[in-house]
Amino acid sequence: MSSFHWVQIPYALLTLFIVLNYGLIMTAVVQKIAARVGGRHGIPFWQNYIDLVKNFAQRSKITHGVMFYLGPVFRLAGGVGLLLFVPTIYGSTWAQNFSFAGDLVLALYFVFFGTLGMALGAGESGHPHAAIGVSRGLAQVTMAELPLALAVYAIAVQYHTLNITEIVAAQQGGLFHWTLFTNPLATVAAMFAFVGTMMRPPFDVVLAPQEIPIGPPTEYHSAYLALMQTNRAIFPVAKTVIYMNLFFGGASSWGEFAIKVFALYMVSAFIGVVHPRFRVEQSIRFFMKWGVPVGVLAILMV
Amino acid sequence: MVSSILILAIGLGTAFGLGLLNRRRAVLALGLTLGALGLMAAMAVGWLIVLAQGAAPVEIYTAGAEPPFAINLRMGLMEAGAITLITLTGLLAVLALRTALTRMGRGSMAVVLVLIMALSGLVMTRDVFNLFVFLELMAISTGGLALLSKDIRAIAAGFKYLIISQLVTILLLVGIIFTYHATGSLNIDDIPETAMGFSGLGLALFLILIAVVLELKPFPANGWALDVYTAAHPGFSAVFSAASGTAMLVVADKLVKAAGPDWFAMFTLLGLISFIGANIVALRQDNDRRLLGYSSVGQLGLLLAVIGQQDVLGEGYLYVAGGLVLSHAVAKAGLFWMSIMVKARGLSDWAAIRVRPPLVIAFATFLAMLTGLPPFPGFYAKWELAQVLATTDRLPILAAILIGTLIEAVYLFRWFGMAMKRETDTPLGPKQIDCMVVLITLAAAFGLGALWGDLSENGNLFATVPMLAALFFLALEPMPAKLKNGLAIMALVYWFAAHAGVYDPMRLIFLLVMILGGAVILLASFNEDGRRVGFYPPAMLMYAGLALLLEAQSTFEFFAAWEVMTLGSYFLILRGKQSEPHALSYMIFSLGGAFVLLSGFALAADGVTPFPLSALSLVPEQVAPWVFALLAVGFMTKTASVGVHIWLPGAHAEAETDVSPMVSGILLKAGLYGLVVLLLAMGRQSLHGVDLVNVLAWIGAISAFVGAVLAVFQEDAKRLLAYSSISQMGYALFGLALMNHLGWLLAVMFVINHYVYKSMLFLAVGGVYKRTHTKLMYKMGGLITLMPFTFVSVLVGIIAMSGVPPLSGFGGRWIFYNAILETDLRLPLVLIFMSGPVGFLYLFRLIHTIFLGQLKDENHQIKEAPIWLLVPQMIFVAFLIGFAIVPGLVLQRVDRFLGTVFGDQPLIWHGRAVESAFGNWNPVAIMVVIVVIFVTLFGILIAKNHDAVKVKQFNIVFSAERPYRPETTHFAWNFFAPYRRAMGFMEMPLVTRFWGGVSEALSGTAEFTRKLYSGNGQTYAVQVILFVVTVYLIALGGVA
Repeated sequence: MSSFHWVQIPYALLTLFIVLNYGLIMTAVVQKIAARVGGRHGIPFWQNYIDLVKNFAQRSKITHGVMFYLGPVFRLAGGVGLLLFVPTIYGSTWAQNFSFAGDLVLALYFVFFGTLGMALGAGESGHPHAAIGVSRGLAQVTMAELPLALAVYAIAVQYHTLNITEIVAAQQGGLFHWTLFTNPLATVAAMFAFVGTMMRPPFDVVLAPQEIPIGPPTEYHSAYLALMQTNRAIFPVAKTVIYMNLFFGGASSWGEFAIKVFALYMVSAFIGVVHPRFRVEQSIRFFMKWGVPVGVLAILMV
Repeated sequence: MVSSILILAIGLGTAFGLGLLNRRRAVLALGLTLGALGLMAAMAVGWLIVLAQGAAPVEIYTAGAEPPFAINLRMGLMEAGAITLITLTGLLAVLALRTALTRMGRGSMAVVLVLIMALSGLVMTRDVFNLFVFLELMAISTGGLALLSKDIRAIAAGFKYLIISQLVTILLLVGIIFTYHATGSLNIDDIPETAMGFSGLGLALFLILIAVVLELKPFPANGWALDVYTAAHPGFSAVFSAASGTAMLVVADKLVKAAGPDWFAMFTLLGLISFIGANIVALRQDNDRRLLGYSSVGQLGLLLAVIGQQDVLGEGYLYVAGGLVLSHAVAKAGLFWMSIMVKARGLSDWAAIRVRPPLVIAFATFLAMLTGLPPFPGFYAKWELAQVLATTDRLPILAAILIGTLIEAVYLFRWFGMAMKRETDTPLGPKQIDCMVVLITLAAAFGLGALWGDLSENGNLFATVPMLAALFFLALEPMPAKLKNGLAIMALVYWFAAHAGVYDPMRLIFLLVMILGGAVILLASFNEDGRRVGFYPPAMLMYAGLALLLEAQSTFEFFAAWEVMTLGSYFLILRGKQSEPHALSYMIFSLGGAFVLLSGFALAADGVTPFPLSALSLVPEQVAPWVFALLAVGFMTKTASVGVHIWLPGAHAEAETDVSPMVSGILLKAGLYGLVVLLLAMGRQSLHGVDLVNVLAWIGAISAFVGAVLAVFQEDAKRLLAYSSISQMGYALFGLALMNHLGWLLAVMFVINHYVYKSMLFLAVGGVYKRTHTKLMYKMGGLITLMPFTFVSVLVGIIAMSGVPPLSGFGGRWIFYNAILETDLRLPLVLIFMSGPVGFLYLFRLIHTIFLGQLKDENHQIKEAPIWLLVPQMIFVAFLIGFAIVPGLVLQRVDRFLGTVFGDQPLIWHGRAVESAFGNWNPVAIMVVIVVIFVTLFGILIAKNHDAVKVKQFNIVFSAERPYRPETTHFAWNFFAPYRRAMGFMEMPLVTRFWGGVSEALSGTAEFTRKLYSGNGQTYAVQVILFVVTVYLIALGGVA
């Protein structure tokens, strides 16, 4: 078990910096691709930077109370924490972050830290759309996360460890050592959860971004929103890193990291552009019918 | 000692002597009657003491000749006990009947004396014809005394009674004639010497015995007697039930002893039918005295069955039968005498007694006594009986007795609930003497409890410190609540300090949660002013039960503690405003569970007393799985596992603010402790190839899931928390059922965590309830600024409970993952995984709908919760944070202990960090990283937005509207509507329907059977004859 050295702090900050920029650019690029598929021109790839700067610079700002204030802090702390509790690059001495603090279980549960805090903050605004969004999001996640939990159990049994680095290590030595090939059922199950929780169609009724602004961010603006946008760049990447580590052999360099994360992210984008939206109960039934059985098979077969 | 024939002589002599008095000297006559009864009682007590010290039974020969040429009487221990009971009942009855007796004059007093004399004679005589004479005296005097009542129905009742008892005595007389013909003797002791060669003797004995049985008013041939209970003066009904019943039981005993063991089966069968049948019919009674009548019939049936079991009871027979008789007689007499003061006859009219707390105590005591709860004689007796029946493979009889008792408990405790919770227009008519009579009976109840405990070879509950402490709080009732609370806390802390050093780490955890944890919750009770009558005795009784539970070394001690705890918690739960039906269902399920435990323990012991808990591991292979299954079911009733969970939501939600955390945070752990003891001793067991531990795991998983889903759909905050307890206990059960080191550590983690956050949340919600006067969450909203401390405690509580790092709930999840990786039990895991995220749903709803969203207009002025409710909450908050950083302080010792149990050590502790075979957990690092990130980001936001303008409540816009009503803006009701559309099928109340069906079936049977009781004397006579013929035809096959 490794332990803490002060040098890890600048290392972690560097990881954070890289991931933040990567996330800002990548999400914009994906959005642009989606726009082009729809025959629109789309946003410039630096759009996220503009939004961020604009929001930070906004002068009119209001607050609804303490939790309203803390919500974005929880949210971003959740994203940053998730990133830093998981080793980003396999074999690198400095991109191991603070993974010594815990294992896969820590990452799995810390995912909810930001969600919970965000929901609380939005709740204090008193805006009913915020609460409706939270209600939908939580309801959906109960079933959407389940295949992942089952898949994680399956691979933890398979590799006999909960340590992420060890799981990545076990997948080294070629494409066919990836969990994708050694345990396809677990991977498929996990991908159900991945698609289900990336807030893209058909599972994006939580935010309903196209018509009415709904969901936790409804009342947020200025630096609050800036923090949340920062998180929107970091969090999906951090989450994708976990999937990459668990099922797709991890990344041994930043280049590999960039490609794999982008490819994985595109899976949900692809599915998103060609599917209409599910209502929440439809998503729940969908996962119960398709995702969960695969997950159950995964834990029975391993 | 003086000759016991004087008891009869004094009774008869005074009865005749009263006739010489002036008609108008009624008071003097009453004094003489009392004096005579007092003298008779004193003699009986004298004999009882002498005989109890080991003196030989004494035979009294009348007319200077030996039997069979003259009548002889016998005074043995049983006789002395019975006569003591009869004469004392008579004495107190005369006090209770004083007004009626004075009104009716000396004649009525003479009849009382004749009745008591006749009953004493019945007990002592050894001559069947003499028996007949006394029986006639009893019948006539009973018929006469029934007329003492002002109730017009009493005349009809007395008449019916006389008709049928003549029928009965005719049967008896014919039996006696045939017996004399067969044996040439009228002496009871000569019957067994005659061989059964003479074919008529069978019928002769049958007639005698059935006549005696009929005198015990067996179900269903008892309509004639029940009308007496209903219509007669209750002062007399007490004698009718307690004294006459006892006398007839003694008669039944000596006759069946003489007739031989062949007749035991008939007694047992008739007794059990009567016990169960009468109790079922009693379910539908709404007249208190008739209810008591049915209960008497039931109890006498039980005793008839016990008489039939004397062949297996052996030396314990007197102890068992005596314990049950005394419990029945004392309690029933006490209740009848109480009913004198209650002026209206409905069950809820007993609400009148609430103005006199001692009467409430008496009521509770008598009911507990009738149901065989500790610390009364019936409890010890029932334990012995169960042991013997289980040892001799008479389990169906045991089952029948327990089912009957449970049904009896249903209507008795329903009655108690009505008395405590409903209102009546009829005030109490208390007279000093009536109160005194009841209180003397109450004292007798406790005295007998102490005596039976002393005689028990298993130990005396009255000799335990916690029990005495609980009783001490009864005496403290007139003191102010705050003082009592301080004393209660000191008592608990003292008990904790005295035992913390000697317990093993596993028990220490439970001691910590139950006793010290109890003291912390009691801090909240400082909030109550006044005297808070009726809170501390049950609370301390519950804690006494818990303390004794941890102390218990033998199965008896364990079971006794279990019952004490149940009784205390029932009274505690009943205190809630709307808790009447819920407390009842709690009591029924708890008693049902306890009876299952009793059967399990009895089966395990195989006659060994006292049976050490550790010896459960030595139970022979063929019974072990059954013992395991019974005990597990019993314990799971307490943890409210799915199937037997329906009592929990109501009981926990409707309890008082500081009671909910006690019964949820603490009491549920008793079930887990039981399971720990069970699994430690017995390990894995399989029945018909099914691994029972795996069944437990499934039940745990289903409970975890179902509890969580149902919690999501609750609108009532306390119900939400209650359902979540079902879920959490399911997790803990699952952990235990994994049967590995980490699974158990997980259970321990849940024991601690669940206590802390559930107590904290219940107190917080209770505080909100105190301010908003509602438990419905959608009526709240936006309370965060008004109740900031309460908000903090709920926030910390839900983070801890949801398992999100960095708080202590995460530790539980981490151990859980490590535990399940070592098990082969895969499928139930799916349910456990499913229930995790569902937890977020109800937890978020709890905090959102209460504290966030829109503040209601009527709540603008409310204040933070009372300080004493906040104190324990803040202690819990501090603990949760501390426990999250240094879990090792608590867990490490348990971990080492579990290592000795399972022979492995899967966790390695490096300072504050832990490593397992699969992963690692560094709580300090997690906390530091999260705090640093959080504080940094918070700093950035403050730097940017410190000057944000605080806007007013409705400064939001949605759907192009500007809202102005909080009711239409606060999104709270049916919060998870989409989830309900998907998972709403889980709400189908299948279990509730099942138990509802059971209860309806019983109730329907009662309604149907009730029709037998037409009130027509001729019908009753036909019923009796049909009963006799039926029994004869059945008995013919067995005996004659």
